[in-house]
Amino acid sequence: MKEYKYLIVGGGVAGTTAAGTIRQHDPAGSIAIISDEPHYLYSRVMLSKPNFFLGKIPFDQIWLRDENWYQNKNINFIGGRTVTKLDHQDRLVHLDDNSGIKYEKLLLATGMSPRPLAVPGIEKRGVHYLRTLDQGKGIIESVSTVKRAVAVGGGFISFEMANIMHMSGAQVTIIIREDRFWAPILDATASQIVEQAIELSGVKLSRRAQVDQINGNINVTGITLHDGTIIPCDAVICGIGAYCNIDWVKESGIKIDRGILANQHLETNLPDVWTAGDVSQFSDPILEEEVQLGNWINAQEQGRIAGLNMLGNKTPFTFVSFYTSHGFDTSITFIGNVSPQKASVTITRHGPSDNQHAQIIMVDDQVVGAVLINQTPILQALSKIIASNLNITDKKSQLEDPNFDLNLLIDQ
Amino acid sequence: MSNQIEYERNKAGSKISKIVVDRDLCIGAQSCLAPGGTTYEIDDENKVVVKDANAVEDADLIASAQACPTKAISLYDKDGQLVD
Repeated sequence: MKEYKYLIVGGGVAGTTAAGTIRQHDPAGSIAIISDEPHYLYSRVMLSKPNFFLGKIPFDQIWLRDENWYQNKNINFIGGRTVTKLDHQDRLVHLDDNSGIKYEKLLLATGMSPRPLAVPGIEKRGVHYLRTLDQGKGIIESVSTVKRAVAVGGGFISFEMANIMHMSGAQVTIIIREDRFWAPILDATASQIVEQAIELSGVKLSRRAQVDQINGNINVTGITLHDGTIIPCDAVICGIGAYCNIDWVKESGIKIDRGILANQHLETNLPDVWTAGDVSQFSDPILEEEVQLGNWINAQEQGRIAGLNMLGNKTPFTFVSFYTSHGFDTSITFIGNVSPQKASVTITRHGPSDNQHAQIIMVDDQVVGAVLINQTPILQALSKIIASNLNITDKKSQLEDPNFDLNLLIDQ
Repeated sequence: MSNQIEYERNKAGSKISKIVVDRDLCIGAQSCLAPGGTTYEIDDENKVVVKDANAVEDADLIASAQACPTKAISLYDKDGQLVD
């Protein structure tokens, strides 16, 4: 049976960054990455970007590591294999081809999967999810022929894909269950700015709507909403959220919740087992609660920290991550923790322009997260304010004032 | 790609002498900001520009280029060879 000193389950940016970090400091220890996708590391971020989708960027730009990288670093890439069971007593993971791999140290960086839309007709051709490269390829192949598209969900997949489908010339309808876009993460003003941008482009937004059925024989011909409305379309993009597929670790004794629980060193409750990326639900020392974040830069930085700690360090994960989504000439940025479990207060900072808005989220007397609409120039300052654990009790009026330079708070 | 902006670097002891940002590739993901420290900032078009090419050590600058999910940042040595 194969055995590795460092075994990494998950070939995305968290797992790959961890492997690279380990190799940087341990030139000899054996490393393997198991991925359920057959591909080397690619840019999941690009999968929903118009320049990539519409062919303005060469397809090969998606590859972030090539075969040479894995070979030169002596990292064994085991692609296209799914792990089925974790047996930590024997330090063993089982794979779907009935083989097993033993480990000394294990990293779980398995990411998230799109939440399936559970309605009749979901299997029809033309229904898409967007998580993997192969799913992305499927949408790219259909983009040029799609005349009418429906995007289901009020989040970033729906937002970005509706924009791309619109740019490619399709007539697009976005279906959301809520009464406004991206509620409740966006406040009413933020939703309104985003909705205006969407509707100004000609894309329709159907609120308080629920898909009951996907119509068609083999190919999608339309959807039926709960109120009976039929919307004809030849493509459906499902972006109704994501979940962690962690059933396979349940019997190992590892503590899980929505994701895999970890302390601030990204260690799980099992010795010699770490977790990083979207799947990790890590303990935030400031908030004293478990936080789970699903964005690229969070996964990358957690991969680096987990790698360092697998080498024997005790480096805490304290990075303030952010993610910006673009569509319809509008940017939506999330910084830090935008939905803390603890009681929070939101300070709004509107302007200077009508389409600029910020929600600054506070727990007790500290800023823990922010949502920015068309406000990328204040991203860095707010990230620093969050990272510095600044007490902002007497600074609320400055945070609210769109003409106040936030950098002045950091320098104080 | 034509829309590239080159920034000279002359930090003492550094093997990197040029940072090139491809504005067509940059999508404003801002992954470079964390490892790159004060090297970069985001302009009004939500693209990365180099504010201080000498701000950080080579290792951090390389990490900032590798962090880019669209490979929009390239680093070159004084002989014009790609550094990665």
